[in-house]
Amino acid sequence: MRISYNWLRQYIDLNNSIEDVAQTLTSLGLEVESIDHLGKKFEGFFVGEVLDSQRHPNADRLKLCKVRVSNEGDPLQIVCGAPNVAVGQKVIVGVVGTTVPHNQHDPGAKPFVLSKVSIRGVESYGMICSENELGIGDDASGIKVLESGAQIGTPLADYLGVNDIALEIGITPNRPDCLSHLGIARDLAAALNTKCISPKVKRFDNPKNSVTELAKVNVLNTADCPRYTVRIIQNVEVKESPEWMKRLLNAAGLRPINNVVDATNFVMLEYGQPLHAFDYDHLAQHTIVVKSADKGEKFTSLDGKVHELSGDELMICDGEKSVAIGGVMGGLNSEISAKTSTVLLEAAYFSPVSVRKTAKRLGISTDASFRFERGIDPNITDEASARAAHLIAELSGGTVVAGIIDHYPKKISEKNIALRADRVNAILGTSLTVQQIVKFLASIGINITPGKEKNEFICSIPTFRPDIDQEIDLVEEVARLYGYDNIENKTSGEVMFSAPEHFEQQVFSVRHWCESNGLNEVLTNSLIDTPTAKIFGSDLVTVKNPLSVELETLRPTLLATMLQTIAYNYNHGVSRLHLFEIGTVFSAAVGNIKSTYIEGYKEKNCIGICLSGESNLLSWHEKQRQVDLFDLKGLVLSLLRGIGLDNSDLIYYNAPTSLTEMTIGVEINNTYIGFLGKVKPESLKKFKIEHNVFFAEIDLDLLTKLQSARSYKGFSKFPTVTRDVSFIVKKSVSVGEIEKVMKLAGGLQVTAVTLFDLFEGPALGEGMKSVAFSLKINSIEKTLTDAEIDSMITVIVQSVTKTFEATLRSI
Amino acid sequence: MLDQKITELQSEIDRILPAISTTDALEKFRIEFLSRSGKLASLYEALKTVPGDQKPAYGQKINTLKKSVEAQFELLKESLQSSFSEQKNDIDITLPGRERPRGTRHPITQTLEHMKSIFVSMGFGIVYGPEIEDDYHNFEALNFAPNHPARDMQDTFFVKDDIVLRTHTTPVQVRVMKSRPLPLRVIMPGRVYRNEAVSARSNYFFHQVDGLYVDKNVTFADLKGTLVTFAKNFYGSDIKYRFRPSYFPFTEPSLEMDITCFLCKGNGCRICKQSGWLEVLGAGMVHPNVLRNCGHDPEKVSGYAFGMGVDRISLLRYGIDDIRIFFENDLRFLNQF
Repeated sequence: MRISYNWLRQYIDLNNSIEDVAQTLTSLGLEVESIDHLGKKFEGFFVGEVLDSQRHPNADRLKLCKVRVSNEGDPLQIVCGAPNVAVGQKVIVGVVGTTVPHNQHDPGAKPFVLSKVSIRGVESYGMICSENELGIGDDASGIKVLESGAQIGTPLADYLGVNDIALEIGITPNRPDCLSHLGIARDLAAALNTKCISPKVKRFDNPKNSVTELAKVNVLNTADCPRYTVRIIQNVEVKESPEWMKRLLNAAGLRPINNVVDATNFVMLEYGQPLHAFDYDHLAQHTIVVKSADKGEKFTSLDGKVHELSGDELMICDGEKSVAIGGVMGGLNSEISAKTSTVLLEAAYFSPVSVRKTAKRLGISTDASFRFERGIDPNITDEASARAAHLIAELSGGTVVAGIIDHYPKKISEKNIALRADRVNAILGTSLTVQQIVKFLASIGINITPGKEKNEFICSIPTFRPDIDQEIDLVEEVARLYGYDNIENKTSGEVMFSAPEHFEQQVFSVRHWCESNGLNEVLTNSLIDTPTAKIFGSDLVTVKNPLSVELETLRPTLLATMLQTIAYNYNHGVSRLHLFEIGTVFSAAVGNIKSTYIEGYKEKNCIGICLSGESNLLSWHEKQRQVDLFDLKGLVLSLLRGIGLDNSDLIYYNAPTSLTEMTIGVEINNTYIGFLGKVKPESLKKFKIEHNVFFAEIDLDLLTKLQSARSYKGFSKFPTVTRDVSFIVKKSVSVGEIEKVMKLAGGLQVTAVTLFDLFEGPALGEGMKSVAFSLKINSIEKTLTDAEIDSMITVIVQSVTKTFEATLRSI
Repeated sequence: MLDQKITELQSEIDRILPAISTTDALEKFRIEFLSRSGKLASLYEALKTVPGDQKPAYGQKINTLKKSVEAQFELLKESLQSSFSEQKNDIDITLPGRERPRGTRHPITQTLEHMKSIFVSMGFGIVYGPEIEDDYHNFEALNFAPNHPARDMQDTFFVKDDIVLRTHTTPVQVRVMKSRPLPLRVIMPGRVYRNEAVSARSNYFFHQVDGLYVDKNVTFADLKGTLVTFAKNFYGSDIKYRFRPSYFPFTEPSLEMDITCFLCKGNGCRICKQSGWLEVLGAGMVHPNVLRNCGHDPEKVSGYAFGMGVDRISLLRYGIDDIRIFFENDLRFLNQF
């Protein structure tokens, strides 16, 4: 809501600075978002007189002018290119150092600063301006010539009468009463302990109600239109509004149109009551019928748009046709024009819900619908209508027909709400007295009478405050007027211990482990386009009203959006991508997938890890290589062990996922928690990624349910012996199997089997490989003798050679 | 007999030891003479064959020899080690060290973790809720009337007519109030969605932290104290702040908290739109309708609730001027945190 400070001051005496007023408004919950000194943009512009105008010695089209902008000192020498400059003119002069709002020669009309310049060898000390350059009119053909009576040296802001200040105030949806200058003045007066004076509205001396002879009103839908009033103004002359009106409307952010429309807008901004002026002669049978639209009916609104109506919209009709969408917008067929001589003025109270539904359905939001949706005062209608009618008459030379048609079958009256003083203090943590509370509430127009109990009151809530609905709303009013800053900041209280959150702690560990181990955390989009989503999952969840087709479907896996990130970074020259993300993935809960919270939908907290590009950093001591599956496999195992999941058999080799190939499952205590593998080339192609990507996804909901409690296990006090052993086996034999057999054969005394060398070569024979393991052997009971160790190794070697048809290469 | 052995060993050691110049040779010496099966140990073996009355005298001799050899050995070991490090001093120590790749946590995560740690220290637990939410939890139970303009404050993505992507983390309040016993003091972080055009200042999803405390006798003064304590911990103890009345359907009275702009210190700048203030959170006393909807009697218990946007605060904290950069995940950006 944009407020004109000059306008506001018509209702309230304000001696404070604008900053103080703004602060008070903000402390009332009417947040001042900006203060705009409207005259500021005219600083540095003055009224001047052209004393002399000669042809520029070096340019035919330019003139060399002498311009007086002050009664003292020499006139300024200014080079001017305007064709209409002439001696004796009063003109607008910008002096050196002034910012000109619009550069006429710049396609973007950007502002620029005037400096002393030399134009074709002649110095120029300022500029004579056009309307367009100052943003006060559209004419850019020449300089603006002022009336001859203009005083030399007058600052332009004063000459134009632009000395107003506009306040941009953020009005929350619960305060429709403050969508008007009077409403804001009322709240401000309460806070400043002063009075708010409403405008004097002329009433009618003539008791005769002549309006009823000129028009008829028939409200068929009283639910959506509880009150409808009509006044008529005759013999109007539609023309431009006077300067004072235009200035106030401009300051409040509304464009002046004509005196009739301006008067209705003025009263809307004054009282908060939207009004609509019809051309009486365009209303068939001079009748207003308020009813629901016909289904399929087409209606052209004031802005020229054609709307197809559903039948639920409340329409204002004449004897034949619809002429306005009630509370939203008037129709083109009955608008005020230069030919209008009689005005039918509508002031109504429409149901907020009905207006909101209509405005939403038609996609229109107007100043009127905005106010009706939030709830205007149903009892201000008559006064606002009278005010507007007389204003129209005054501005247009017309006469107001005596009387009003007021269809208001069921008066909306003030609500009574009980308030307990103790309750106020109990909620706020204050110790306000009864007197204080009463005074605060009375200051905003709430009438208070004693209630049944001690310290209980009955508060009568004015109808302009539809938001005050129960006791707690009154508590807020007290707090607001007492001042939030005056309430204590209580920093002690009952100690309460938060319960340990295992999920939280484990996710914290996972995240910090990843960070410490060189992974970059990313946060990616949750929504992707449907075709891409289909590559990565089925049972997708889509949004009915997406921003665009690119953001239509909830990601079924973190892989989809992490690949976007990888593609982005490759395109920006990055060659090493080790990323992780912790986030939610979504699917419909169909078949045997269980819903998590909302029936029909499954949400999973996951960690996704992507490795792509170089494995290690570029350095002098180590060759750089590309990441492979074993980088990721080792990383995932280290991560799980790093957060305390020590179970050794984490990995198995036929995981149920279609996202990757060479897929390895991760299973702990017989619970499948995720997988890792190499991203399929089809998926990479979709993102134009030309490098391998290795991806792991682990379900954090499952992971964090696993117990990772560690306990002490005794270890041997006797020396550990390391023995190496290598075999030549067929390539098809997997190292994992060999390890298993070695461990089985070696028994508990073999504490570690580590592959440390693997190679193939012609020397080994076709289809063969060499595998070398380092074994750690010890006993918990004694120092093993060489003979004992030798016999263990023999057993191990025999098992391997027999099981895999392997040849012993060396011991 | 033993006498001779001792003398011979003594002279052998005296000959070998001074000639040792490498740690390897010294180790070889140790094994030959000082180990458990070494030559000195064999003297003790031989001692067993000496008649009882002579044992103390010989024993002492052998001990003396052993101590002297051990002392010389240690001395030599030390000197060899120091000369070893001197030898290595010709290495170019300006060669780059073997660095570990540096990982990072996302700046939004860092902001969130900082917030969490402060609230946890104030006795708040941490709970989560779904991102696909129903109209009841997201709006209705939170006192948003159907067709009320307050719903316009949060443009909504719909999955179905009554299923939405949550527009705030506040629905988790409803879930915890319904499922957990009082007193209840928790924060609820998470991702939320708004159907708004993406621009430098707003994204269609962002992250919030909601907070909730419900108990007997919780007051607006407790709320203010909690928020001030949080803000001083999070933004610094020297910040200035102000509370403004505001409006949320689910709290009454409601407030918004501003702090002095940390870029311009309140003088007015682009970030604070010349106002000198930055809005950092919204809060209020839990609306009696919400308490009732969650099965609590507002005459017996009261509560406060608050909520703040993690992304926006991260923007301000790091002086970032375009919110979209958070989700581009450009490594040149991420590596700055």
